[in-house]
Amino acid sequence: MQEQNNNFPIKSPRENCVFKSIRYSVLLHFALKNFVDKKLRSFLTVFGVVIGVSAVFFLLSFGLGVQSLVTQQVIGDKSLKAVDVNSPNSKIIKLNETAVNLIKTYPHVDQVGVQYSFPGIMNFNGGEIDVVAYGFDTAYQSLSSLTVINGRLLEAKDSDSILLNMSALRSVGIEDSKVAVNQTLKITVPLEKVEAKSTSVVKTFRIVGVVESGSGSEVFMPSNVFDLAGVPTYNNLKVVVDNTLNVSSVRAQIESMGLQTTSLADTMDEINNIFKFLNLVLIGFGSIGMIVAVLGMFNTLTISLIERTKEIGLMMALGARRRDMKKLFILDATIISFFGAVAGIILAIITGKIVNLYINMGASARGVTEPFDLFMVPLWAVLAITLATILIGLLVVYYPARRAGKINPIDALRRE
Amino acid sequence: MIEHKKVIINVSNVNQSFEVGDERLRVLKDVTFMFKEKTFNIIYGQSGSGKSTLLNVIAGLQKPSTGNVLFLGRSVYDLTPDQLAHLRANEIGMVYQQNFWVKSLNVIENVSMPLFFSGCSRHISRQVALESLEKVGMADYADKYPTMMSGGEQQRVAMARALVNNPRFIIADEPTGNLDSTNGDMIMSLLQQCKNDFGQTIVLVTHNMEYIPLADHLLNIKDGAVVETTDDTNITKIADSLISDMKHRIDHLSKAKNHARTK
Repeated sequence: MQEQNNNFPIKSPRENCVFKSIRYSVLLHFALKNFVDKKLRSFLTVFGVVIGVSAVFFLLSFGLGVQSLVTQQVIGDKSLKAVDVNSPNSKIIKLNETAVNLIKTYPHVDQVGVQYSFPGIMNFNGGEIDVVAYGFDTAYQSLSSLTVINGRLLEAKDSDSILLNMSALRSVGIEDSKVAVNQTLKITVPLEKVEAKSTSVVKTFRIVGVVESGSGSEVFMPSNVFDLAGVPTYNNLKVVVDNTLNVSSVRAQIESMGLQTTSLADTMDEINNIFKFLNLVLIGFGSIGMIVAVLGMFNTLTISLIERTKEIGLMMALGARRRDMKKLFILDATIISFFGAVAGIILAIITGKIVNLYINMGASARGVTEPFDLFMVPLWAVLAITLATILIGLLVVYYPARRAGKINPIDALRRE
Repeated sequence: MIEHKKVIINVSNVNQSFEVGDERLRVLKDVTFMFKEKTFNIIYGQSGSGKSTLLNVIAGLQKPSTGNVLFLGRSVYDLTPDQLAHLRANEIGMVYQQNFWVKSLNVIENVSMPLFFSGCSRHISRQVALESLEKVGMADYADKYPTMMSGGEQQRVAMARALVNNPRFIIADEPTGNLDSTNGDMIMSLLQQCKNDFGQTIVLVTHNMEYIPLADHLLNIKDGAVVETTDDTNITKIADSLISDMKHRIDHLSKAKNHARTK
């Protein structure tokens, strides 16, 4: 008996084929060719998605940009890891060294800065004025975000150095901060009200720096001035936590001692809460465009399904599996949403840049010196929007793909 | 000699009925036959006699109501859908009266379709499909689009597609139905070549009585029941009688025409 087909010049390709079913690369080729074949429809569908995505992305990037601007304005370079501590009733709950040492033992606490504050009198340049006299250690100082105008900040070894703010200088008739540095002045701080060893601090200091702070007259001296005078309690502490995530747990521990805490994180949380809501509203507005785009996409995919019923039936008669046909539709939708997302994001970024340019030009004409960015394009937003768009595409294609998988090749190929 | 040939398709006691409204329509009635390898099988019968349903049942596209179809001894409808798809991609070639294409793909990609579905890469598929197109003399059309070609050209490309995976079994459902006699004859000689030179088994459904003598095995289907003829002499007799029937019909119709004229 003759071996079957041994004369046929076409060698069976089956032995060359590793896979048993259609490759993804081939399916992708089919989907791309179909995409290109229906140029106008594909373009319009993608364009719809582009509009939707760019609306969402533009507004989101605007929201994020404004959020970051506001946060920068409010928080600046101050540390979010710091917690301010004071006592609601200093007579009963004492903010003393014992308390400080206890707080230092808490987990996640890196550093504790202390500060005294008293009303005092400054004699300088022939004048005598009322000032608020602060005494802090360098840890506290570093967290206070004092800006030096002239000279330097206090250092750990300092004992008779002092900082002044501009307001105190002006009160004694000095306008030029350079003049004040290295001069000496006398500070008197009465201590009758706090049960200190000394009844007052009277000391001569050398000015090492002039700083920008507050509107009232303020002077800043090393905390050891008050330590030596035997002042029993601090007025404020700044507690530095190792990580912003641990701020709330450390605060809870400190508050359990009966102390009061405040933190920039509170402000930050409030800002973020407001913007979370605002961003949602903005995305909501953008989503209206997206909904229209989704409907367009659904329409296109459904029409494509109806148009290609015969083709799908044919492919199944030629050996395609049902799930191959589903995959084909899923790829169609993915192509549309991917291109739509990429082009939409690019469009949104370009629009944002142009709008930002114009607003900056307007602002600088009104005297704003520093350029700013109203739009933020974080990588996570790009990825999230792209993924979300593709996900939406997959949701949209669910129904057409299911129908594609259910097509009966006989019905599809029936003659008219 | 015929007795020694392997059985490719074995159809036994197949019944097919459809519910149409309240009525039960019996399309195939207790059909039993077998197709042996390297044979040319022709199914003929009037429209609505159940030919297409029978073809679909054989091709593994339509599960019969009762009965069994064996492909090389394996029960076709006991295969999983994936195995069935694999069978269609690898063992069966199909040609239709009206040709179907994936319109966005060019000729060579359409011809490659069965290869794609058996997992071949585009590179290998292109080589194999080109050979198949050369077979039907259509290699020059490889990068054209099928819908831009004439009916005869399309049908030849369809033949290339049916042959591309070197199937054991070719099903041709009135492939000459829409063609002129030159193109029709060409398709027929290709099918004959497939049987004679490449040892493939052909199943042809046709209305064209002139092709009846090509058959090794004739199935006349009438109201869903099958009458088989395998003997060459009998096939010739049937062909002769069908052709004389046709002559009678022509005579009858021309008489009617003359009658109308004399009136």
